Amino acid sequence: MNDAIKMQISAFVDGELPENEAQLLLRRMSQDRHLRQQASTYLMIGRALRGERSVAGMTSLRERISAAIDDSVQEEGPEAADAEAPRYLRPLLGLAIAATVALVAIVGLQRAWDVPASQPAPGALVDTGYTVPEPPNDQLREYYLRHSASSSLFGASSINTRLVTLQLRDGMLVESDAEGVGPADVDAKDEPDAGPRNP
Amino acid sequence: MKPASMRRTPTVWALSAILVTGIVEIAEAAPGPHEWLDRMASAVQRTNYEGTVIRMQNGTVEALKVVHVVTDGVVHEKVIVQEGNGLEIIRNGNEVQCILPDEKSVLVEEWNDQSALFASLPSSDIRFGSEYDVSIVRTERVAGRKTVLLAIRPHDGYRFGHRIWLDTETGFPLQTKLIGDDGSAIGHVKFADITLDKDIQPSALLPSISTENFRWFTNPKRNVSPEVETHWVCDQLPPGFRVVSSHQEELPGNDAPVTHILYSDGLANVSVFIARSRETPPAHPSRVGASNSFSSQVDDYQVTAVGEVPAETVRQIATSMRRSD
Repeated sequence: MNDAIKMQISAFVDGELPENEAQLLLRRMSQDRHLRQQASTYLMIGRALRGERSVAGMTSLRERISAAIDDSVQEEGPEAADAEAPRYLRPLLGLAIAATVALVAIVGLQRAWDVPASQPAPGALVDTGYTVPEPPNDQLREYYLRHSASSSLFGASSINTRLVTLQLRDGMLVESDAEGVGPADVDAKDEPDAGPRNP
Repeated sequence: MKPASMRRTPTVWALSAILVTGIVEIAEAAPGPHEWLDRMASAVQRTNYEGTVIRMQNGTVEALKVVHVVTDGVVHEKVIVQEGNGLEIIRNGNEVQCILPDEKSVLVEEWNDQSALFASLPSSDIRFGSEYDVSIVRTERVAGRKTVLLAIRPHDGYRFGHRIWLDTETGFPLQTKLIGDDGSAIGHVKFADITLDKDIQPSALLPSISTENFRWFTNPKRNVSPEVETHWVCDQLPPGFRVVSSHQEELPGNDAPVTHILYSDGLANVSVFIARSRETPPAHPSRVGASNSFSSQVDDYQVTAVGEVPAETVRQIATSMRRSD
C-alpha cells in the first residue's frame, strides 16, 4: 500500500475526500480488506485524538469465550466430534457455537472494548475529561438484549443491532455454568429439538 | 375608477392563472422532506437489491455483501460479513441462520421483528414531535446514483441526529449516518455498489457454501410478558419522551420480576429496568455501539437506563426515577 492511497484513506475517514474520489475508494475498499483495516486504523487514531476512549473488557470476554470453546472440546473428547452429543452437553455446545458467532461478530463490530495495556481503569477520569464507561456485566447484557427486542417492535432495530446482540447474548451464555441451569438448559428441557439438529 | 395598472384584461388573468397553476404544479412535483421519508419507507419495504455495504462504527471499517428480496411481504436476506471468518446471516421471514464456515456450524435464531439492514431508519409513520427538524440539504451522488440528502436534526443534546441519502429515483437509502451531539458520525453505512429492483434469482439467497454435514443449533425463544401498569415515574424525563410500554419481566439472575419501561420520542428509544436490589453499587455508565446505559440506586432498587441516545440522556433518566405511590 503506497503513501498516496494511505493519504486518500486518511482524507476519506476525515470526510475530506471529494465525493467522486470517495466513491472510487469505497469500491476498492469493498474488495480489499487491507484498505478497510487501514481505514480502521485511521478511525481509531481519530478517536484517540478526540480524547475518546474505548472500554475495557472485551479482551477478557474473548478469553472467556475461548475458554468455553476449549472446555467444550475437552468435555466432548475427540471421538464425540462426529457423534450426537449427550443431552447434558448440548447447552454447552450451543454455548460454544454461539461464542464463536460472538468472535466473528466481534470483528469489525465491537472493538470498542479493545484497549491497550495502558488503558485507564473503567470509571476512571482521563485527562480529556471523558469518563471511561464500564463494560457491560451480565445483567447489563440482558438489559441491552431486552431493550433491543423491545425497540425492534417500534421499528428501531437493525441487522447491525442484531449482530451486536448476538455478541452480547454470547457473552451472557459464556457466563452460564455447564452444570447449572441456565436459559439454554431450561430450553433444552422444554424443547426436545433444542440441541444440534439436522437441517 | 381604478388606475390602468390595476385593471386586469382577460389576457393578464389567463397568464396569472397559468403562472399560479405552474407554481402549484412545481410545488406538488418537488416532494418535501416528509414525502421523502414516506418514499423511503415504502422503498425499504418493497425494493429488492444486491450490493456491497461499507460500515464504519467504533473505529472499524467492514464490508458486507447483501442480497435482499421481498416476496409477498416476507423478507429474504443474505448478509456475508467480509471480515473475520466469513459469517453468513440468512434470513427467511423470521427464521435466521448464522452460518459459521470455519466451525462447520449453523446457529438458528428466530427474530420476531423486522430487523433488516435498514430497519432502523425512521418510518413513514414516525411520530416526530417538536424535538427534530427534518430538512432537505442538497443532492449528491452515491454509488453512482443521484441522491437527495435528508437531515434529521435534534433540537437538543438528548438525542442523536440522522443524515440519510435517498436515491432520487426510488427513494431507497444509499447512505446513512448517525450523528452525535458533537456533530461527529457515530455510525456510517454506505453502499459501495448496488443494483436496485434487480430480478434476483432465488439461488442468490442460498448459502454461498454447502452446509452439508454442518451441525445445527438453536437458541431459546424469549417470552414477552403482558403490559402492566407501573408506579415508577421519571421526574426529569427529557422533552418529547413518553412511555410507550411497561412490562414485568423474568430475567436470569433476578429472583423477583424486573420492571421494564420503554420511553420513546418517536425516533430514539430508552428502556428503564428496575430491579429490587439491596446492594448499592456505585452509579456507573456503560456503552455498546451507539447505545449508552447508566445505572443508579433508588432506595432498594437498582435503576438502569439503556438506549441509543447520548450518555447524558440515560444518566438523567436513570437518576430521576422514583416510585409514585
